[in-house]
Amino acid sequence: MRALEDLVALFARLPGIGKKSAARIAFHLLKADGQYAALLAERIAGLKDRVRFCSQCGAYTEEDPCPVCSSPARDHSLMCVVEQPQDVLTLEASHEYHGLYHVLGALISPLDGIGPDALRLDKLLERVARLGVSEVVLATNPTVEGDTTALYVKKVLEGSGARVTRLATGIPVGGDLEYADRLTLARSFRGRTRL
Amino acid sequence: MAFNRIELRNFRNLEDGAVNTGASSIFLVGENGQGKSNFLDALYTLSYGSSFRGGQDAEAARLGEGSWALEGQSYDPEEGLGGPRAGLFSVRWENGLKTIRENGKAVSDRKRLVENNPSVIFCHDDMEFARGEPERRRFFFDQTAGLVSAGYIDLLRSYRRTLKARNAALKDRMISVLEVLDLQLASYGTALRKERALVVAFFDEIFAPRYEAVSLLGRRIGVQYKPSWKPDEDDDAVVARLAAARERELAMGTTMSGPHRDRYSFVDEHGDFSLRASTGQLRLLALTLRIAQAEHYSAMSGREPVLLLDDVLLELDPDKRRRFMDNLPKGEQSFFTFLPGEPYGDYRAADTLVYWTDHGRFTHT
Ligand SMILES: [Zn+2]
Repeated sequence: MRALEDLVALFARLPGIGKKSAARIAFHLLKADGQYAALLAERIAGLKDRVRFCSQCGAYTEEDPCPVCSSPARDHSLMCVVEQPQDVLTLEASHEYHGLYHVLGALISPLDGIGPDALRLDKLLERVARLGVSEVVLATNPTVEGDTTALYVKKVLEGSGARVTRLATGIPVGGDLEYADRLTLARSFRGRTRL
Repeated sequence: MAFNRIELRNFRNLEDGAVNTGASSIFLVGENGQGKSNFLDALYTLSYGSSFRGGQDAEAARLGEGSWALEGQSYDPEEGLGGPRAGLFSVRWENGLKTIRENGKAVSDRKRLVENNPSVIFCHDDMEFARGEPERRRFFFDQTAGLVSAGYIDLLRSYRRTLKARNAALKDRMISVLEVLDLQLASYGTALRKERALVVAFFDEIFAPRYEAVSLLGRRIGVQYKPSWKPDEDDDAVVARLAAARERELAMGTTMSGPHRDRYSFVDEHGDFSLRASTGQLRLLALTLRIAQAEHYSAMSGREPVLLLDDVLLELDPDKRRRFMDNLPKGEQSFFTFLPGEPYGDYRAADTLVYWTDHGRFTHT
């Protein structure tokens, strides 16, 4: 059965899905009513069209600018710099942060041939100046590459007038936050240090 | 920790199955090439996650096999097999991937193995530490420090990662990134230099009297640490030094100073001893380094390592052999390999397990 085998192979390419789980999902869809499968297919097909990057902060969004960038309730003098768009979702899920975001899109890693040009740094400078940001919080993970990037961003922001601080810990992987993760993040935001 | 049982599969020339090692000392007796050293390598791999011979993981697979696996049941002899620190450790290599497990759960870092199953190996290749290859001496002292401090291992890894990134940045001429990497390299590097200086100062106090007791040389041979960045250079001075060498390093495409260029030497009042020492003196020096490594571990951790001694008595004359054995620290467990002609009966304790080793098979005698 080609159709079934192809689908199983496609599912098995998803992160965290092995061959067994892939087969189980495929059989489940085969048994489920047709409407569910159709809805799922439509949502998957439309995902890339509907979800884009915010032209301002670089986070995933369906409207541009994103709800965070366009919300008057957010603190526009505070900007948190993260590596990936999904980091924004993680921090939002923690409800600990009320400023704006800026997604770099990558970390500086000479070993992988990634230099500063690959990061959204010009846009960061432009936003910090235009919005009159007074504090930039660097939330890159405390790895060698995360540190390199944080130090580099700090250097780039010299003369911008913004204070540059660093989160004590990095951002937990994945948007699903445990209670302990939330507590750590809250402490990390309160205990951010001047770089 | 001591090992109660080792299970082997497809590992080098050793027969598949379990070997009982529940004793304070285990003697493996056999001709060369029968698998004695390979068994010590299995134990070493359960300590460090890799072979003491270096080389690729694939090379540890028996000829024609695409995977291998080791399992060790380890325990604290004072607590016994049912004690709280007893555990089942395994290292498995298949499909080009190595997996370490503790009580069935995957362990992401080899540090966990070293913490639980620290071992000290005495082998022929240790002569390289005595003869003076700087890279080998750095390896030895990094291992000595890493045995007692997971923090040291982290620091060394961060330094190496920064160094690699910096060398890549030099080759790609990423000038603005280099300014940042200089700060990181200086920060990790000066911290590493401080740790190394402390370890050597402590190690020297253990090593020097031991070497005298074993060699009867009549003068003190100590360990000297010569860091590539001078001891009084702080982070700012190092950053300035790196900036000053920029053009040269860009031309060479590599980082020319730092802890990866540190040196260690064995010295007496006349200077570098290993340049003047006889082969016999160097052999004793290598053995004493391992004695001191084991003692350093015990002094810092309050525990004893497992000792793995690979054919080390063979090349010593009877007097030196006795002095070496008298100075050998107590391990939580000791494994010795012997050729059939050696007087291993003299070193035997009441509970010593003696195995005849033949074609990778161990037969209790
Ligand atoms: Zn936005």
